[in-house]
Amino acid sequence: MNLSVRKIVISGILGAISILLGVTRLGFIPVPTPAGHATIMHIPVILGGILEGPVVGLITGVIFGLFSFLQPGAPFFADPLVSVLPRLFIGVVAFLVYYSTKRINKALACILAGALGSITNTVLVLGMATWRGYLPPEVSISIGVLHGVPELVIAAILTVILVKGIQRIRTTED
Amino acid sequence: MELTKNITLGIYLPGETSIHRLDPRTKIIATTLLIILLLFIRSYEAYGVFFIFTAAIIYFAGIPPRFALCGLKPMLPVLILMWVFQLFLYSTPDAEVLFSWFIFTATDTGLHMGNMITLRVLFLFTVTTMLTLTTSIVSLTDGLESLLNPLRKIGLPSQELVMTMVIALRFVLILAEELDKIVKAQMARGVAFDRGNFIQKTRKIFPVFLPLFINAFKRAEELIVAMEARSYSGGKGRTKMKTLHMGRVDLAAGGIMILYAALMVFILFSVSPRI
Repeated sequence: MNLSVRKIVISGILGAISILLGVTRLGFIPVPTPAGHATIMHIPVILGGILEGPVVGLITGVIFGLFSFLQPGAPFFADPLVSVLPRLFIGVVAFLVYYSTKRINKALACILAGALGSITNTVLVLGMATWRGYLPPEVSISIGVLHGVPELVIAAILTVILVKGIQRIRTTED
Repeated sequence: MELTKNITLGIYLPGETSIHRLDPRTKIIATTLLIILLLFIRSYEAYGVFFIFTAAIIYFAGIPPRFALCGLKPMLPVLILMWVFQLFLYSTPDAEVLFSWFIFTATDTGLHMGNMITLRVLFLFTVTTMLTLTTSIVSLTDGLESLLNPLRKIGLPSQELVMTMVIALRFVLILAEELDKIVKAQMARGVAFDRGNFIQKTRKIFPVFLPLFINAFKRAEELIVAMEARSYSGGKGRTKMKTLHMGRVDLAAGGIMILYAALMVFILFSVSPRI
């Protein structure tokens, strides 16, 4: 496998945005639930998958996962199986969804990729946290609904806006 | 609204102790081993031994205990809440009921489950904090690169991946400045970020996100041109100004880690698990 300079730089910068959203708490949207906040830190990962393909999505996911592992926002993220592993799939899923639906309509493909990428994050993280015994199933289902739904809506809207905006300034079109 | 003031990414406490002087590779491997051990611990006895070992590392690294634990403070409410969840919601059919109140029933298996998981999180946090407190980001990436190097043979571009990490860490601060400017510019235009209900607050992230991403991608395009103009070609044939060396202290640390891991494995198999 060979990584082009473009792929290295774009994954690095998207990873930086993800970390930045975490350290400034800008990536957390206060939702009144016990688990704290809904997150939009996974949006750079979704964008990486859509704009540059599965490899960039994967690497950005690793950076996002490693960061949430090293600076855990919730206790169960201190387990790499919960914080890193599920994040590997976000970008890949977003890429697959975008790639398979972009022929129909690009905007629709972005919305679907954002929504399904977000669902991947919610379901896999909470599923892993439940499987490892950090959360009882009832609690994770309620967190999944209370956090997953707003996260999904925000991710879908932001993805379509950001992809449109970024594609306008990029030197290469896909 | 000062967003970027409190960025403390991987605080590093410089020092001259033997822990500080260890090769970063030794520290990364040791930390990984400790994390793997932690994922399997299921008894109080094993946690006791683990505590002694962790306390010894903190002592020998000359880190004030207050410093090693201060990062836990923001996590504390969630940690307590999680413990309460486990106490009331986790149970097995043969569990002994400790007390019930209203519709909640606390069982002894719930109590043990809560304790085990809270302890695991506490130790995971302490162990990873110790790594970043005693190792600078530069030597961490050097160590990581050197450890991932053998994977080149199976086609993993280790040097490029580490380069990605370095770009990410460097750009956090650059983009933080950018973000600060955007937020101030939007505030000057009358966006009140701290007012409104959940939906109104959420809508206010759009005028921040779009310029942030667009500027980041502009910078990315510039960096791509700059790197290609200097013919950056990843890891092939690249040498280092400072090369890593394993010394006697690393040998000693390795020996201690192997003995400790053996002891832990012995405890894990001989003491019956609580959960």
